[in-house]
Amino acid sequence: MTNRVMFCVTLFGAAVSTPLTAYRSPLTAQDTVKGKAVYVKWCAGCHGDTGAGDGAAAPAMLPRPRNFTGAVYKIRTTASGQLPTDADLMSAIDEGLPGSAMPAWKARLSEAERRDVIAYIKTFSSFFADTSQHIVPLGFGKEPGGGTSAQAVKTGRSFYDSIGCRKCHGDQGRGDGPSAPTLKDDAGFPIFAADLHQSWRFRGGGRTEDIYRRLRTGLDGTPMPSFSDLIDQKFLTDEELWRLSQYVRSLSPAREPEVRDVIHAPQLGGTLPAAPDDTTWARVDRYWFPLVGQVIRKPRWFAPTVSGVWVQAVHNGRELALRLCWDDRTLSPDTAWLAFERRVLETVASDDSTPPVAGLWPDQVAVQLPRHIPDGMERPYFLMGTGTDPVYQWRWTSEPRRTVAGLARGLEQFDTLGAAPESQAVWDHGEWRVVLTRSLATPDTANELQFVAGRAIPVAFFAWDGSNGEHGSRLAVSTWYFLALDQPTPPRVFVSPVVAMALTLGLGFMVVWRAQRRAGGSRGTGAGVGAGAET
Amino acid sequence: MSLRLPPALRRYAEHPFWQAVGLLVLAYVVVVFVIPLLPGSAIVPKSVVLQYMATVLVGVLIYVSDNEERWARFKEPLGALATEPRLKLVRGVVLAGVTGLVGLVTYGQVRTTVAAPPNLRSIHPAPPTEITFRGHSVTLTGLDNPLRQHPESAAAHLVVGKRIYYQNCLPCHGDHLDGQGHYASGFNPIPANFQDNGTIAQLTESFVFWRIAKGGPGLPREGTPWNSAMPRWEDFLTEREIWSVILFLYDQTGWTPRTWEKTVSSER
Repeated sequence: MTNRVMFCVTLFGAAVSTPLTAYRSPLTAQDTVKGKAVYVKWCAGCHGDTGAGDGAAAPAMLPRPRNFTGAVYKIRTTASGQLPTDADLMSAIDEGLPGSAMPAWKARLSEAERRDVIAYIKTFSSFFADTSQHIVPLGFGKEPGGGTSAQAVKTGRSFYDSIGCRKCHGDQGRGDGPSAPTLKDDAGFPIFAADLHQSWRFRGGGRTEDIYRRLRTGLDGTPMPSFSDLIDQKFLTDEELWRLSQYVRSLSPAREPEVRDVIHAPQLGGTLPAAPDDTTWARVDRYWFPLVGQVIRKPRWFAPTVSGVWVQAVHNGRELALRLCWDDRTLSPDTAWLAFERRVLETVASDDSTPPVAGLWPDQVAVQLPRHIPDGMERPYFLMGTGTDPVYQWRWTSEPRRTVAGLARGLEQFDTLGAAPESQAVWDHGEWRVVLTRSLATPDTANELQFVAGRAIPVAFFAWDGSNGEHGSRLAVSTWYFLALDQPTPPRVFVSPVVAMALTLGLGFMVVWRAQRRAGGSRGTGAGVGAGAET
Repeated sequence: MSLRLPPALRRYAEHPFWQAVGLLVLAYVVVVFVIPLLPGSAIVPKSVVLQYMATVLVGVLIYVSDNEERWARFKEPLGALATEPRLKLVRGVVLAGVTGLVGLVTYGQVRTTVAAPPNLRSIHPAPPTEITFRGHSVTLTGLDNPLRQHPESAAAHLVVGKRIYYQNCLPCHGDHLDGQGHYASGFNPIPANFQDNGTIAQLTESFVFWRIAKGGPGLPREGTPWNSAMPRWEDFLTEREIWSVILFLYDQTGWTPRTWEKTVSSER
């Protein structure tokens, strides 16, 4: 009896504490009939009834849903060219694949359902039927310490250069290397070299150990190779490969950026930093705003490449400077990317009446504001206003390199105004940095927003990557956020707390003094009024 | 029930003052840390925490002052704190601490910071009785899904509805119909969660038809039409396709639409 209890406790403990090791053993008690029911209901819409990755949603997706019939999987713990373990498949289903349309299913399907669906997915390929194959994960060891030291990052960087990462991922890791425009996956779909500055979008996870695993196993079916053989050839040690992983990890923020509603623009004295690389910007808080495809008006766009924009703002009481930074692997227009753009447009479904044609479009960014600061909560329509309620926008383009201001009346109509903000821009190894400067007040008060400190001013952002075929309604959009011009703290803010504190302290002393006077008769004095008064 | 506590601890546990302190600490821990852990709940806002704590404090004071002897014992440690020479250091720390706290709270009150204005939105605004769909009029009141009239062809309509959903709705409303699609984080308000019992589960199919056909731009003012990213689907889909996708929404989530028989007056 006691033994059985102990056994159950041990089993329970094992199930709770080590689910991953438990999955390493082949799955048992799987029911492909039940798995098929789960698959048909939840997976087939993208992955297709026959598992070929051709469900109804697939044509609008880039990257495409996995084609299970080939049994080629990117995210594995097994050697390059090997089948994935059941734990690998389970982990992709549980956690989803960040940066793609694949969501996490852990909280949506029971463990039994997820195990059954894995059994069913494996029936799509005869490779899994061959039970003579022994699918074992590679041994990965542990991350060596000191990964954030300057020496470790330097070692990592030296191998980044020497083993050829930069050919595709670029000098600074934003996926802008010279080979990037040529990349295709094994199915012939265009594929982007990952932007290593956005680890929260890495399909296999953004931790250093995840990066190390991808370097060891490669991403099968893509141009990303495995580097395990370089260790076998003694070109680099296992520790050096870990250093490379730590270097790659160091390129991204420590955590996925949090989206905050209000951009605070501190007030500075003197002139504003009008240059994108002015050192002042390093001291100003930056805000991340995610951008997603414009899927609201025809023609829609399902495959934007700009996943978000970093925004900073400062003002000096007379002018406002706004700095926008975003990752864009191409300095558009760029003829080197024209063939790639064509492949993207051929791959991603559209609802144009005629198929879109690849062209040499510029990169663009738009900052959208209402014409007037709203008093209530009502604002113009977030997607570029409407005919009757337009929005005021600044539109920057890479070619010609300029900014115009105007009124947008929906996606189709943009009427330029006479005055425009000053702008300066740099494209630096896959990143645009643009600073827009305008006076807070302007003569055209009817159409141009008049900035006032201390108010929440609605603001939205839009971006186009020209080399991804983006122009017109094919763009990445944000919802409304807010911009607030902060004011220096007025002195009364410091007076009130001091007065309150003095009153509290006085009251405290009085209470103590009275209590001691009352007690004094029986105990004699000598307790003192209070520690504060005596010292 | 006899709790076996060491004598020193028992003295504290039986003392009304320390009971009161214990209750307050317990209440704080429950409100701030335990409530957010309960399924379906969220972090308690600071102002609500303050209200809870004030209520608990009043209750505790009523309890300790309810009986003369208990009230006297309750005041003992406070009196000792004010008078005992050996507690001079504690007295100083308490005085300084309270003073500092008052300063901080006051600073927090007078400091002005610009916050996003509250987004007050009616989630299910009253629908119109009639809409115009691509130029012809559709009466919503009393309207049921016409595709349900022929149960034998339901399977075929579901196939169409599923295809429509995956081609159009997926980026925002997601694979699980939970409003967590891969574009969801880009929009505010976030897309509707059809798995939740507060959306399609309590709506008639004609309401859902109206929301799909007219989208964000067709919302009345209380629905904040300027924020919604919901497209006006009459520009993309036929009436029949919309009814098909509605069939799919209910079939996939397992909810049944609210029916007109059960509806008291017009849809709220």
